[in-house]
Amino acid sequence: MDHSFLHSKKLLLVDDEPELLKMVSAILADEGFSCLVTAANMKEGIAAAKAEKPDLAILDVMLPDGDGFFLMEQMRTWTDIPVIFLTARDEAADKLAGLGLGADDYIAKPFLPQEFLLRVYAVLRRCYKEDTTVLKLDSCTVDFSRAEVDRSGKILPLTAMEHRLLETLAKNEGRIVTVDTLCEALWGDNPFGYENSLNAHVRRVREKIEADPSKPVSLLTVKGLGYKLLARK
Amino acid sequence: MKAFGKYISKYLLSFFVFALILLLVNLLAFALTFGGIVSREYGSASPANMLEAVAGDLSASGISEERLQELNHNRIWAMLLDAGGRCIWEVSLPEEIPTQYTIQDVAVFSKGYLQDYPVFVRNIDKGLLVLGYPKDSFMKLTGNYFPIRAIRIFPLFVTGILAIDILLLFLVYYFSKRNIAKNTEPIMASIKTLSTGKPVDLSIRGELSEIADSVSQASQVLSRQNQARANWISGVSHDIRTPLSMIMGYAQRIVKDHEASGNIQQEAEIIRAQSAKIKDLIQDLNLVSQLEYEMQPLHKEQVRLSKLLRSYGADLLNAGIGEKYSAEVKISPEAETAVIDCDARLLSRAIGNLVQNSINHNPQGCDIFLSLVCSLEDVSITVADNGVGMSAEKLRELEEKPHYMESIDERLDLRHGLGLLLVRQIVEAHGGTMKIESASQSGYKTILIFQRPHRRR
Repeated sequence: MDHSFLHSKKLLLVDDEPELLKMVSAILADEGFSCLVTAANMKEGIAAAKAEKPDLAILDVMLPDGDGFFLMEQMRTWTDIPVIFLTARDEAADKLAGLGLGADDYIAKPFLPQEFLLRVYAVLRRCYKEDTTVLKLDSCTVDFSRAEVDRSGKILPLTAMEHRLLETLAKNEGRIVTVDTLCEALWGDNPFGYENSLNAHVRRVREKIEADPSKPVSLLTVKGLGYKLLARK
Repeated sequence: MKAFGKYISKYLLSFFVFALILLLVNLLAFALTFGGIVSREYGSASPANMLEAVAGDLSASGISEERLQELNHNRIWAMLLDAGGRCIWEVSLPEEIPTQYTIQDVAVFSKGYLQDYPVFVRNIDKGLLVLGYPKDSFMKLTGNYFPIRAIRIFPLFVTGILAIDILLLFLVYYFSKRNIAKNTEPIMASIKTLSTGKPVDLSIRGELSEIADSVSQASQVLSRQNQARANWISGVSHDIRTPLSMIMGYAQRIVKDHEASGNIQQEAEIIRAQSAKIKDLIQDLNLVSQLEYEMQPLHKEQVRLSKLLRSYGADLLNAGIGEKYSAEVKISPEAETAVIDCDARLLSRAIGNLVQNSINHNPQGCDIFLSLVCSLEDVSITVADNGVGMSAEKLRELEEKPHYMESIDERLDLRHGLGLLLVRQIVEAHGGTMKIESASQSGYKTILIFQRPHRRR
C-alpha cells in the first residue's frame, strides 16, 4: 500500500540519547517523514507535545527526569494521540504496563530499522485513515466509502461482511492476515469453526474483484495461514 | 501407627537398656547409702543382739565385766523388772528413770520410749530385761502394724509403680522424639528444596528454630546471589541495547545508500547481519537468566495454539525470511481447537528460536515446516526443515554436553548458543518436553510436546 499520505504526520521523538535521536530521525527522514520533533527529557517532551501537537509520540521508557509511562499519562490528559514505546528494557512487566496504559505499541531495543518503520506505519495507519478511501487492485478499484467495486465502469456493491473483509485485508495490504484475525474482524472475539463461512465470503469477494476468480491475483490464499491482498503496482 | 513405629523404632532398645540401667543405679545408690548404717546398727550393738547377749550373760551376780564395758561403750543402760514391776537389777540407770512400774507403764514403754530413751525389752526367766539406748539414737514406730491385705498387695504395688514409671518415661521419650521429628521434617524438606536452587522460607518454633533460621538465611543468600546475577546480566544487556540499535540502524542506512559503492554496501550488510545475531543473543541471554532463576513470571492464559502458530507464521512471512527459504504451517483439523494454558509470548519466542536455528544452519536455503497435531493427552508443535541436518554424533553432543550457562567447571568443549537452551527452558516452564530428531542431510526436526488440560466431564 502507498504509505506516502502518512509522511506528512508530525512525529515526536523523546529519548535521552542524542545519538539515538539523530539516528532514528535519519531513518524516518530517509523514509520520507518530514515533520519530526525531538526532545531529550520528560520536561522538554511535555512542552514539545503541547506546542507542536504531534500526531504520534515515540517515547523512551527511561528518561533522566522520569519515565515514559508517566510522560504518556501526562500527555493523555489533553490528547489521545498514538504512543509507541522504545526501550532498552524488554521485561514482560514493562510491556504490560506500557500497553495497559493504552500505549499502541512497544519496540524493544535493539531494533532493525525496517521493523521500526513497520510498527510506526502500522500504528499510523490504524489511527489515521487514508484520506482517499479508494484502493486500486489489479482488475478493479474498491471504493470503501461507498462500498462499491468498480470494474472498468461496471459497479458491483459490497455486502457489509465483504466490505469488512476487504477493509481488514486492505489495512494490511501486502501482508498476510491470518484466518483468525479475519474471523475476529468479521464475527468478533474467539470465533471457532467460522473457517468455512470465511471461505464462502472470500469466494464471493473474489468473484467481484478478480478477473478470473479461480486464478486470483489480488486476493491470494496463503496456505495454512490466511490471506493476502495485493494492490496494483 | 506407622508414624508411631517410625518415631520409636530405632532407639527403642537403647531406651529400655537405659531404663534398666537407671533402675540398677538406683538400687546401687540405695545399697551404698544405707548399707553402712544398716550393718553398723544391726551389728553386735543392735538392740536384738544386745538383748540376747545381756539375757544370756545375766546371772545372780549380774553381768560379766566384758558385757558391762560393752554397754557403757555404747552408752546403753539396762534394768531388770520383776513380776511386780520393781527394778531388781540395773546398770548405769539414769536418775530420771523410775524404779517402780505399773503394768500400764510397762505396756506403754515396751512399744516406745521411756523418758525419751528408746527402750527394748525381752522376757527372760528372771523377769523383764529392759535396755535403754541413748536419746535420739533410734526411732521407734509406735504404730507398726499393717493390714495383711496391704502387705499381700505390696509386691504387686511395687511392680505396678515400676511399670507406670517405665510407661511415663517412655511417653516422655516418645513425645520428645515425635516433636523432634515433626520439627526436623520441614527442615529436611527445605534443605532438599534448597539443593535444587529454589528459595525456601522456613519458620518453626522450638529448640530447632535456630537451624530453621540458618536454612532460611542460606536460602536468602542464594536468592540474593541469583538475583544479583540475573540483574547483572539484565544490566549489561540493557547497556548494550542502545549502542547496538545505532550500529544496526546506521549499517542498514549504508546498505540502502545508493551513493555507497557495492563493496561498502556488502560490508555494511555483514555488520547488520552480525549485529542482528548479537541482538538475538542479548534477548535470549536475558530471558534465559530470568527463567533460570525463576524471575520471569509466566503470564499464562488460555491460548489456542492453532491461532498462535498461524499468527507466528504470518509475522515470519510478513517480516520476510529471504528468497532461499520457505515456511509452511500445517494444522491438523483436530488440533484446530486445542487450547493450553501458556505464556503466548514465550511460546512464540521458542518457536521463533527454532525457526531461526533452521535459517542459521542452512545458509544455502531450506523449507521450514511448522505443524500442530494433537492426541487426547497432549498436543505437539513441530518445527522441521529439510536442510543439512545433523549427524548422530553431533546430535548426541547436543543432548549430552552441558551448556556453558549451566556448567560449573572450566571445560572448553561446552555447548554454545542460547537459542536451544531457551527453547528447552520455556518448554520446561510449561511442563512440556522437547524432542530433537535429525540425521545428516535429512533435515532437522524439533518437537515440543505439551500436556492438554483434562477436560471436565
